[in-house]
Amino acid sequence: MQVYKAFFKIIQKNRGQILIYLVVFMVLALLLTNTYNPPQDTDFSKVKVNIAFINNDSDSQLVAGLKTYLDENANLVDLPDDTQKLQDALFFREVEYILRVPAGFTEAMLSGQNVQLEKTTVPDSTSNVYMDLLINKYLNTAQTYTTYLPGLSQADLTQYLARDLAEQSEVTLISNGSHSANAEKSGYYFNYLSYSMFAILILGVSSVMLVFNDTDLKRRNLCSPIRSATINFQMILGNLSFAILTWLVLISASFVMYGSFMFTPPGMLLLLNSFVFTLAALSISYLIGNLVKSRGAMSAVANVFALGTSFISGVFVPQELLGDNVLTIASFTPTYWYIKANNEIAAAVSFNADTLQSIFTSMVLVLAFGVAVLAVTLVLIKQRRVEA
Amino acid sequence: MFLFNYRYRLKCIFRDRQLMFWTFLFPVLLATLFNLAFSNLSSSDNFLKVNVAVVQNQALDQNPAFTEAIDGADDLFVVQYTTKSAAEALLNDNQIDGYIIFDSKLNLVVSQSGLNQTIIREFLDDFVQSSATIVTIITTNPTALDGGILAGVSSRNEYLTAVSASQSNPDPVVNYFYALIAMTCLYGGFLGVKEVVAIQADLSAVGARINLAPTNKLTVFLSSMLAATTVQLLELLILLAFLIGVLGINFGDQLGYIALTCLAGSLTGVTFGACIGSIIKQGEGLKIGILIGSTMTMSFLAGMMSADIKYLVMTRVPILGYLNPASLITDSFYALYYYNTHTQFFTNILLLCGFTLLFSTVTYLVLRRQKYASL
Repeated sequence: MQVYKAFFKIIQKNRGQILIYLVVFMVLALLLTNTYNPPQDTDFSKVKVNIAFINNDSDSQLVAGLKTYLDENANLVDLPDDTQKLQDALFFREVEYILRVPAGFTEAMLSGQNVQLEKTTVPDSTSNVYMDLLINKYLNTAQTYTTYLPGLSQADLTQYLARDLAEQSEVTLISNGSHSANAEKSGYYFNYLSYSMFAILILGVSSVMLVFNDTDLKRRNLCSPIRSATINFQMILGNLSFAILTWLVLISASFVMYGSFMFTPPGMLLLLNSFVFTLAALSISYLIGNLVKSRGAMSAVANVFALGTSFISGVFVPQELLGDNVLTIASFTPTYWYIKANNEIAAAVSFNADTLQSIFTSMVLVLAFGVAVLAVTLVLIKQRRVEA
Repeated sequence: MFLFNYRYRLKCIFRDRQLMFWTFLFPVLLATLFNLAFSNLSSSDNFLKVNVAVVQNQALDQNPAFTEAIDGADDLFVVQYTTKSAAEALLNDNQIDGYIIFDSKLNLVVSQSGLNQTIIREFLDDFVQSSATIVTIITTNPTALDGGILAGVSSRNEYLTAVSASQSNPDPVVNYFYALIAMTCLYGGFLGVKEVVAIQADLSAVGARINLAPTNKLTVFLSSMLAATTVQLLELLILLAFLIGVLGINFGDQLGYIALTCLAGSLTGVTFGACIGSIIKQGEGLKIGILIGSTMTMSFLAGMMSADIKYLVMTRVPILGYLNPASLITDSFYALYYYNTHTQFFTNILLLCGFTLLFSTVTYLVLRRQKYASL
């Protein structure tokens, strides 16, 4: 098994670059599990928009009442009244709505005069529409009271407002089965996996191929007493074991993070899907390995290929947010189908014939990519040998 | 000598295909990918009318006020009247965000908690709350009924005036491209490393030859650095033209200041590389490794991977933003695009110049008067 051993010796020598991608993936995976918490669909809960509330009026009861009301229906974020700080907060969506109560607001409101509050928002956003509804309602209700019950004290007014606006309609949340948070989180985990998998396989396989395809070395190997079929067999074995080893390492963290979920049907499907993808990625890496001529080109290709396919296939940005043309281009890469199947597995509440068919279609397509690319590579190798 | 060396260094740089890839093609490619992936990101929170179904039954027919109210809110909702089973089917297909069923009380049925669902809820609450208000008023002041309170409640005033935060749209996506430019600037460090390697006798054969020549080393090195900066600035301007012209990224309209930022960024990047190249005595691989590692860390903190990181740094550890050249470059573009004043911009540019000076001084002190016992 000299060839097989040589394969892993070369990988060993190049472990630095490969480890970088492994570390990047592990960090991403860890960050994800700790920060991302999918909404729990057991009870209806209001979505609260982050807003900033700035009062330029005196601290009247009416202003306090408005602030309390907004506090119940939105998240008040404490921000200093500084133009740049407020601009920053809006730009980076720390708050989506800034409400400024002008001086003289309470007096104007109580005497029934028209008064305008200043809002600074993300234009055309849904949160803008929602906050407008809330604030206008509070002030309109206040105005109704001052019109029809003139002479109402501020204390009574705010009390009435608080009582009226606490009335709620009923909401029923029909949930179509239980959906585990692990399913969604692990879906993300396996999506990110495709990026590292591609980068690691391309780097690993190419670094070996560069050595074995060196003309002098190749001639020397051809005149060795080992049959060329044996060499090829050991190379194939080397490639396969490298890919499977990478796959095992990359999926290992999922067992630590999601535990027993990985042994449920969706967990098993995610594993199967990633394994199928590994085979396709290996086949593509093998083609690239036979095409690149230098180590510099190798890291360029690995970067461009891994990043490029990941970006357009929905690894970093969800597929729903990508444009149709982008997705059309992406559908010519196996990553797109891999991500599609992952998303379907993660989103499925129960597996019926329809969802399963769609998931397995994607897997078959990924596998087909692998076989097609492998065929091209074999033809290419054959042709080169004839030329040489 | 100055011009001679300048010309040949330009040729050397342009012919280094790998270098040209990482400092030029890679950023252009990354920008294209950013654009493909992020183009729908900022429009995803745009308001689209909420799809809602109302179940037709007897209770609904007896409450024309409700039908009137929801039909009146056509700037919020797209309403369809159906049967209960049809509404359920629509909800399951995600065709509607929820359906309303009038069943002695108002009831909303949804399949998930979201902002759209909250808006429907808010509308229904409003209906219930208005009734409560009317009851309170009439019990205290029965004459209000004659005073037209029913009409008064349904007529609504607008109390909000929009004031925009700045002359530009608060679109966090542009920050990714600003950070990408910052990364490109610091990738100019590759050029700096190359120039240092080419002038140090113990690092390259070319360096040994140059040190033999009866020319002032400083003159040669200055012309080398000038060549590197020229290439870097050229690459940056092409990238900028690509971003603005082809991808349509908004940089505001202060072109002069934008060019100034590019110049300051190029100088910082090239001198940064030269500094790393001269301090680290080990092989070129390590120099490049450290250059990439530090550039990526700085770009990450400047928000190239996630804009939230940049805000976190800005608000929690602002000092880190001022010590990070990538952040300074990103912030300069951000300030030009978004702020109404130039204070922040000029602070950043001055700090960038400070960094350039620091890197140059360090490089100078390391490179000067080196003697070799043997090579």
